[in-house]
Amino acid sequence: MATASEDMKILILATLSGGYAGADAVGQLHASYAPNTYILPVVCPAMFPEDFYLRVFERGIDAVLVMYSGTDCPYKGGAERTAQLINKVYPLMTERGIDTRRLRLVAICTVCTSAFMREVAQMNQTLAEIGPVRNELAAAVAAQASLSSDEVGQP
Amino acid sequence: MTVKNVHVDVLVVGGGIAGMQSALDLADQGYRVALVEKEPSIGGKMIMLSKVFPTLDCCSCITTPKMSAVAHHDNIELLTYCDVQAIGDRPGGGFVIDVVQKPRYVDIDTCTGCRQCEYVCPIDLPSQFDRELGAVRAIRVPFSTAVPQKAFLDIDNCILCGKCQQACPVEAIDFAQQPETFTVEAGAIILATGFELTPAGAKAEYGAGELLNVVDALVMERLLAPTGPYGHVLRPSDGKEPDSIAYVQCAGSRDKTLGVEYCSRVCCMYAIKQAMLLSGALPLADITIYYMDIRTFGKGHEQFYQNAKAMGIEFVKGKVARITEDEDKNPVVRVELIEDGSKVVERAHDLVVLSVGMLPGYNPKSLYGVPVADDGFAAIPAPNIRPSVTPKPGIFVTGAAAGPMDIVDSIVLAGAAAAEAAAYLEEVRTPSPQRAAIEEAVHA
Amino acid sequence: MPEPRSNGDVRIGVYVCYCGGNISDVVDCEQVAAALRTLPNVVVARTDMSMCSDAGQALIETDILEHGINRVVVGACAPSLHERTFRNTIARAGLDAGLNPYLYHHVGLREQVSWVHQGNPQKATEKAIRLMMAGIAKARMLEPLEPTVLDAEQHALVIGGGVAGLRAAWDIARRGIRVTLIEKSPFLGGHMAQLETTFPAGEDARAALGDLIDQVVAHPLVTVHTRAELTGVSGYVGNFQAQITQQSRGVSQGFTHFAEAAEVCPVEVPDEFDYGMTTRKAIYRAYPGAYPDLPAIDWAHCDACGKCLSVNGTGLDLENKPATFDLNVGAFVVATGFRPYEPRRGEYGYDEHPEVITLPQMIRLLALAGDGPDLLWNGRTVKNVALIHCVGSREIPGVHEPQPDGQVNDYCSRVCCTATLHLATELRERYPHLNIFDIHEDIRTYGRGHEDIYTEAAANRVGFLRFHGDERPDVLPAPDGDSSPLLVRVKDYLTWGEELDVPADLVVLATGILPSPVDDIISLLKISAGTDRFLLEVHPKLQPVETAVPGVVLAGTAQGPMNIQEASAAASAAAAKVAVLLGQGSVKLEPFVARVNHALCDGSGECVAVCAYEDAITLQTVSDNGQTAQKAVVTPANCVGCGVCVSACPNHAIDVQGWTLAQYDAMLDALAAPLPVLESAT
Repeated sequence: MATASEDMKILILATLSGGYAGADAVGQLHASYAPNTYILPVVCPAMFPEDFYLRVFERGIDAVLVMYSGTDCPYKGGAERTAQLINKVYPLMTERGIDTRRLRLVAICTVCTSAFMREVAQMNQTLAEIGPVRNELAAAVAAQASLSSDEVGQP
Repeated sequence: MTVKNVHVDVLVVGGGIAGMQSALDLADQGYRVALVEKEPSIGGKMIMLSKVFPTLDCCSCITTPKMSAVAHHDNIELLTYCDVQAIGDRPGGGFVIDVVQKPRYVDIDTCTGCRQCEYVCPIDLPSQFDRELGAVRAIRVPFSTAVPQKAFLDIDNCILCGKCQQACPVEAIDFAQQPETFTVEAGAIILATGFELTPAGAKAEYGAGELLNVVDALVMERLLAPTGPYGHVLRPSDGKEPDSIAYVQCAGSRDKTLGVEYCSRVCCMYAIKQAMLLSGALPLADITIYYMDIRTFGKGHEQFYQNAKAMGIEFVKGKVARITEDEDKNPVVRVELIEDGSKVVERAHDLVVLSVGMLPGYNPKSLYGVPVADDGFAAIPAPNIRPSVTPKPGIFVTGAAAGPMDIVDSIVLAGAAAAEAAAYLEEVRTPSPQRAAIEEAVHA
Repeated sequence: MPEPRSNGDVRIGVYVCYCGGNISDVVDCEQVAAALRTLPNVVVARTDMSMCSDAGQALIETDILEHGINRVVVGACAPSLHERTFRNTIARAGLDAGLNPYLYHHVGLREQVSWVHQGNPQKATEKAIRLMMAGIAKARMLEPLEPTVLDAEQHALVIGGGVAGLRAAWDIARRGIRVTLIEKSPFLGGHMAQLETTFPAGEDARAALGDLIDQVVAHPLVTVHTRAELTGVSGYVGNFQAQITQQSRGVSQGFTHFAEAAEVCPVEVPDEFDYGMTTRKAIYRAYPGAYPDLPAIDWAHCDACGKCLSVNGTGLDLENKPATFDLNVGAFVVATGFRPYEPRRGEYGYDEHPEVITLPQMIRLLALAGDGPDLLWNGRTVKNVALIHCVGSREIPGVHEPQPDGQVNDYCSRVCCTATLHLATELRERYPHLNIFDIHEDIRTYGRGHEDIYTEAAANRVGFLRFHGDERPDVLPAPDGDSSPLLVRVKDYLTWGEELDVPADLVVLATGILPSPVDDIISLLKISAGTDRFLLEVHPKLQPVETAVPGVVLAGTAQGPMNIQEASAAASAAAAKVAVLLGQGSVKLEPFVARVNHALCDGSGECVAVCAYEDAITLQTVSDNGQTAQKAVVTPANCVGCGVCVSACPNHAIDVQGWTLAQYDAMLDALAAPLPVLESAT
């Protein structure tokens, strides 16, 4: 059964040259999207190591949209490096029982207003299906606990 | 008040958006600039507007930082509430300008802008800033975002009760202040004297300013502004929220009977902008724009117009012949519907906004020796290649002093005037060691 | 959930702007301030109608003085608008030098909160509180930073030799700054050279342009390279390395036999100067009087047959030897101009009926037509001319067919109305018996003196017809027996929507303005184009000629449709910005660059491996307390602050100043934290 996503949180890491300006452009249009979205400006998401994303989920933030500048990235190699890093995060999420759909890398340009709106709507739809991240974290903890007790139970 | 002599590279006349931008573009290059403004605050017409097209930015958000930057710039001497009285040639090039500091009756150096004087003043006057819709006191800080944030006293309406003097915590009020004349020496002058609007009474057919519910577009700007007089859009006669609002385009432009044959360039866009803002403020209101041609020619403007059409704003091609009013003071517009068999109809609206045009704000001929063209704006001999250069060497023109233009075009032309003035200074100056060195390097 | 920790000496002032209602109409700013007031280190939390106003800024200055505030967080419009304003505010506040401007953090509450959550004031208010909490969390960890000051090369590179590029070059040079102007084609002048007269005053276009070219090329600080293109860029504002590639001219000084060489040249190609209505040879000049005063070889068409050499080979070299050279420049002016819209085959009969031409072609036709009493086209006397406006402009998505690249030109091209009526006036003067029909949507003679041209055309018996944008006219072959070959079918709203057939011997399409294709320059300079494909300025009012890349400014029609006057003004404004950047010989760079903590660096070199910027981060032998070791060292002028090295460092030894990982972690904590509980209002 789907859960309302409005009480879940989406962190948006948005590049100053792309997603952040795109989000400002959405504002200029006075278009409307869900308010469970928290946009933090970044220079280039290539700065975030893999464990950063895990820390995001561990804090109970339910989803991360990385809105980078894609091919418009003003930094040489920034876009490729970002994609590499994100790809390395997915297996780490799986290991921890976190649904990989909670992390998405999307290219948003300064005037990509409809793409911005679409991504936010889609992520909310995903969250409505998969529920809050704390359920997955709790399940992982429980699994870990039962695993350890099994180990204890085997003399 | 200390009598001063100001030595600068450039004198900019007028503290509206164009003058401020020219001053900043010069000061940022390292030139010394004096900016003289006849009103007690800089900001010009732009600071009165609600939002600006086509981005719908809050106008004050765009203007106030520039006002603030001008006021705080190390290279800019800000001379508010001053009039230029006489201009002479400086031996060896440049100008000597006599400037009169009009008395504010408040010591600008000690006033903190706390407005205690304003709170105790017993005199209420119609606010010019709010187009006479609101009230102000005889002593006041000109408006909430004024620069400088200093009080001044409108002595003509003062009864000399002395309450402000008692209330002032820093003893800044001085009823004995006298005009002071000082000189400014400058190498070049930029005229940014702006524009005035078609006067309300100009057109008898539109009620000659007598119809209460026929207002000009600047009144509507104030009604729509967040700092406006009512905080709502209400019609003047009875304070009712209007359900039906009409814009009459070219009310003061493209009109031979007024001697204004030119297009004022901004009215189509400001009318569309206001219509969009009104449909936000009054979602149920019907908004009609009567026009001859829609001239949305600037960057992003056509798209703005198409959005307005999609929002349901009604555009009717027709020249409004006359406006009268019915017994409920509803304005009645008599218009020839050009696209409907040129049928002449009369339509009643709750409120009519006249999209008034831009008239020259000032004739620089007698004081500055800069002639004007037939349209009354400064003459520009080579408009295509040198759009800010007047026939008088060393005097440049920008903003609406050079003809009607919108804010973006004013800002761009202000940069151009700054570039021309800087080049003029460099060319007039006896070759500086730096320049000689560069030239030597280049020729070597 | 970790509680935000108080950081001893940090005293934060928090300000929530109403933005004149733009924010406060949706977000309860008072509630936001009240919630933030409860947080550690927050000494004051205030609201104001307009924080960016002088009064609003004074509020911050007073708090710095009276409350010892040493970090400031403002929640207002987008940081792109006012972050700099408030950095300056705190920098000038205080008794002595003021606060370090980087002890400031800006939170966007308008574009990203109030304007997008109008339907949900409560959630918008909560979101505003959380974003401000994150901002405060970052502010606790802000450190003073110092900008990098670099020598600025007092030399600008202007790209494009049309009127805007020329005008910008002239102004920069007159200001005392060296200029190199590069032009892709072999001749200066751009599209203005193809005009005979200019509106509004009927000035001789090539004479006015020639005067400007003379001034520019004569200026001792200007160097001009024709046939030259930008092919490489590195560096940064104040100190760019530009690589220029120049094709040979094929003709050098001393060549004197142009007429004879052109005569014998067997290669004949459509002449772009006349939009293909005439032909030229493979050795050519754009027009008599073109600068430079030397013909050029058209390498795309010359087959090196050598016939021209047989006339007199002095000064001729039929091999193109492209040369590249580097220039050290402080700034770029992009004046790459426009191209006229080329209608699709079949659009208003273009390319199907020879009687359908474009306005630029018509201007050339009139220049070539001579003084005869009749206007001739394809050997026929033209009796009826139809001028159709808005071709390739004001197109409506969903109504009009997109361009081959999917684009719908939904903008107004600004110049075509006046240019069309200027043409109509000339037609009437030269051919009094011609029937002239002007078929338009609106007449946009907005400029100074332009309305007079419209009035004059109307007085001169130009017939006006008006269509609706979604019912554009059709150009059809006339039925047999008609005296004119074509007719234009217009649903004319000046005759109450009646469908009229206008006979036409010549149909002139007032084609719009498209930006020159400059994808290469966009990617070299890392600038961007808008949805209309014109180059994008930072903000139409705050920074109308600047791009988002420091040191790169825009001039003329590369940015949007403009007439000559507007392009000149924009070019001069661009020159003023270049003078601001370079006039004082040094440039200040933002301090947001990588910084290495040598205590943690083990010299692994992972950072050097991932960094794409030459000499931005290198391994160097560093001695510390008598010990020498290999450590990473950042050269701030070469570092762009992208942070690629941050994630690559196995020891977490690198951070980008102003954007540290620890700051992000603190912001995450704040976003995850519960909202502060307000004390009961009672």
